[in-house]
Amino acid sequence: MGRRTVEAMSARSASASVWSALRREAAFLARDRSAWAWWLVVLFLSVLAVSAGLNEVHRQKATIAHLVEADRAERMAVLKTRKEWSAVYHSFHLTYDPPSEFAFAALGRRDDAAWKHRVRMLALEGQIHERDAGHPVLALVGRFDFAFFAAFVLPLVLIVLLHGLRAGERVAGRHDLLVATAAGDSGRLWRLRAGLRATVVFSAAVLPLVVAAGLSGTAAPTLLAACALLFAYVLFWTLVCAVLAAWQQTAEVILAALVALWILLGVVVPAAGRIAIDRTVPMPSGADIVMTQREAVNAGWDLPKANTMAAFVERHPQWAAYTAVERPFEWKWYFAFQQVGDQKAQALSEAYTDGRMERDRLAGWLALIAPPVLLERALQVLARTDVRASLAYEARVRDFHASLREFYYPKLFRDDRLEPAALEGLPEFSPRAAGR
Amino acid sequence: MIRLRVIAGAEWRYWLRSRLVLGSALLMAGLLLATTAVTTLRMQGEAAERTHHQDKAEAAFLAQPARHPHRMVHYGHYVFRTPTPLAGFDPGLDPVTGQSIFLEGHRQNTPMFAPSGASADLGGFSWLSPAMVYQLFGPLLVILLGHGLIAREREAGTLATLLAQGAPGRLLLAGKAAALLSVIVLMSLPLALSAALAVRDGDPPLAAVALVGVYLLYLSIWGALALLASALLRRRTAVLAALATLWVVLTLVLPAVAVSATSNAAPMAGKLETDLVMLSDLRKLGDGYNVNDPAFARLRAELLAEHGVQRVEDLPVNLRGLVAQASEQKLTDTLNTYARAQMAAETRQAIVLASHGWFTPLLAVADASRALAGTDLAHHHRFLQEAEALRFAFVQGLNRVHAEKLSFSDDIRRSSDAQAEARTRVDASHWRLLDRFVFEPDAAGSRLARSQSQWLMLCAWFAVLVGAGAWVGGRLKP
Repeated sequence: MGRRTVEAMSARSASASVWSALRREAAFLARDRSAWAWWLVVLFLSVLAVSAGLNEVHRQKATIAHLVEADRAERMAVLKTRKEWSAVYHSFHLTYDPPSEFAFAALGRRDDAAWKHRVRMLALEGQIHERDAGHPVLALVGRFDFAFFAAFVLPLVLIVLLHGLRAGERVAGRHDLLVATAAGDSGRLWRLRAGLRATVVFSAAVLPLVVAAGLSGTAAPTLLAACALLFAYVLFWTLVCAVLAAWQQTAEVILAALVALWILLGVVVPAAGRIAIDRTVPMPSGADIVMTQREAVNAGWDLPKANTMAAFVERHPQWAAYTAVERPFEWKWYFAFQQVGDQKAQALSEAYTDGRMERDRLAGWLALIAPPVLLERALQVLARTDVRASLAYEARVRDFHASLREFYYPKLFRDDRLEPAALEGLPEFSPRAAGR
Repeated sequence: MIRLRVIAGAEWRYWLRSRLVLGSALLMAGLLLATTAVTTLRMQGEAAERTHHQDKAEAAFLAQPARHPHRMVHYGHYVFRTPTPLAGFDPGLDPVTGQSIFLEGHRQNTPMFAPSGASADLGGFSWLSPAMVYQLFGPLLVILLGHGLIAREREAGTLATLLAQGAPGRLLLAGKAAALLSVIVLMSLPLALSAALAVRDGDPPLAAVALVGVYLLYLSIWGALALLASALLRRRTAVLAALATLWVVLTLVLPAVAVSATSNAAPMAGKLETDLVMLSDLRKLGDGYNVNDPAFARLRAELLAEHGVQRVEDLPVNLRGLVAQASEQKLTDTLNTYARAQMAAETRQAIVLASHGWFTPLLAVADASRALAGTDLAHHHRFLQEAEALRFAFVQGLNRVHAEKLSFSDDIRRSSDAQAEARTRVDASHWRLLDRFVFEPDAAGSRLARSQSQWLMLCAWFAVLVGAGAWVGGRLKP
């Protein structure tokens, strides 16, 4: 009984001493002007990053709104000047991938992969690889979005702030005194100091993110996940800095070692990993896909029409009874060999998609040993700006293109007249598949 | 001069004793050698593959059987951009721009298949090239070597002795600078090796020399920054922390911020947007497939008058082919007007971004490096222009065959009359009108000219820092 009371009392006094230590260190920190300066710098950079992201997302949304209008007007104009199947041949349809509510934080693949296309009912493989992407120099240098700031800049701020924690006191001659006078274990003092500084950095970084997320209507779970990721990431680097700062070395050796570690984890491992993954997962070259497709489509003109129609019917048996082609040129034969062109390139095209998927899957595993890349990729997943989102958009373009064919084929093969009324119910591209 | 050498020599002896310096230099050398080997091999592989695809595409075009010439207009052709030998040092825009274009009648397609679209996505730094190692990490080694140049002497109390013994501050600084400069020259040896190999493989020597020069200047700027900080701040740790912070700001933060600022300051419409505007212009040009389109009425009337006949069928040439030619000409004029505007907008945006080089030498050296290596935006634009010239040449060549070798009456009946269709096929020997596509990199002169303003920026940085160094050297206190 008595022993338990003593234990309880000592626990209470220990917690009291933690509090007093915390208050003391916080007071130190509050008087430390350089800590305030760093807090302001991080806050400023974070504001810069999220506002640049918000701006870009705003611009992309405006572009899409403008494109939707212009695309509709263009199609109307085509339908007015062209007749029947010639109008269908000349009608393009806009497809696009709107930025998510969290895209401002991680613009990811949206900078160098196409997120907008205009497709028509010809062979899709000749169209889907067109890339109306952004400015190549801007894509190469890379944008200052929150993901880049958090993954690459923030650790360096922590490194600069925390590397000299002990070595600095050692040089100042206070180190041993501090250790000796620290109540209980002395490690706690350094943990407290590092923790407080890291908290300062984390709070300055996360605040603008939360505000921007509120402005753009990010779902709470997404934001929470992002904050948790950021917290874990700051914790990781704080621990790394604290461990290395405890090393009996001068501050410059510790700083050099930490920066070398940053280069290793953020640059060398990803660079080596990318090469290794690209070697491990071979992919057909893009040129082979489009050239195969082109050969197949053009061969259609010269092959006996029955061959083309037979290949077409393999996938569309319901039109088997309507495949007689009597004249040298008929639209149903023309669109049929476009479809057959896609069929011939399908294996290559699927291998290309699967290869990208597989490379991305392996990149996800590799990121586990490269925390900066792990955070960047995780934020991109939350923002739906990762490779998977880009591939999902491509799949939606393919679905839409298929639905165009499904819409026109009955009219084409039954030889219906294409009155304007017949075009009601023309499929429209829906930018988000259900559930996403 | 002797005293200068003594000071520099003493610094070298210190560096050679320092495990930190030796370890970092070894790491840097390893990183440079590895990236040089990997990037050179990769770009050589790319060059070989693209040349192979180019040959294959040309062979495929020439191997087409006899057919209607307009079929070949739509059969089309592929061209590939092959990288320069110096791209093995700085691949520049190669990974983020499409490397092949499909050329066909009536359209200008976008370049397809950027390597970055197919590779594993591990962040921007995963495209590490020797150029990036120099741009990003070269300064770090210079900082590590240079931060202690003066501060170390001050901390050890030897600075006071040196000054008291009559070594003027400027001489001391010059000696230290000479030591650092010799390291920088040593650091650029792997680059010089890459450049020499590229010259052997056909890149102009002047461009290669300028490339080495621009990196020497860039690293010297960092050397001057390190020396200045070392002379101005009291403690070595403070110097190092300040320089590390400066490095984060100048190489990581500012370039990326400049990108965001540029897309705000000089927004640019994408190709789809401008295409949609263009399409309404194109509709006014008339339908090149329809000889009765009023847009071609004058051409028709003039032809009939010229040959003194009443009916189109009696003309010695095929009106359809002539209309196709006239329409492709008008269409291409419009397409080119928009393409030029698009390229001008891209160039404008690139210039706005490049102007931030006044604030961070990284952007300046990166721009100059791409221009000199032949991997910059201007090179990509020239690829687009040459591809378009080839497209127009073979399409018009085919249209001429269409006009001269086919009879009008067969041509208009070929969709309904199988015998007429057979007569509209022309011999395959006509396909030889396709020119070989060889994308030649720019000559040294134009590469240098494009990097002019970057040289100016870097020289200005260097001059200001040297001036500041001279000023500080005159007032150096222990």
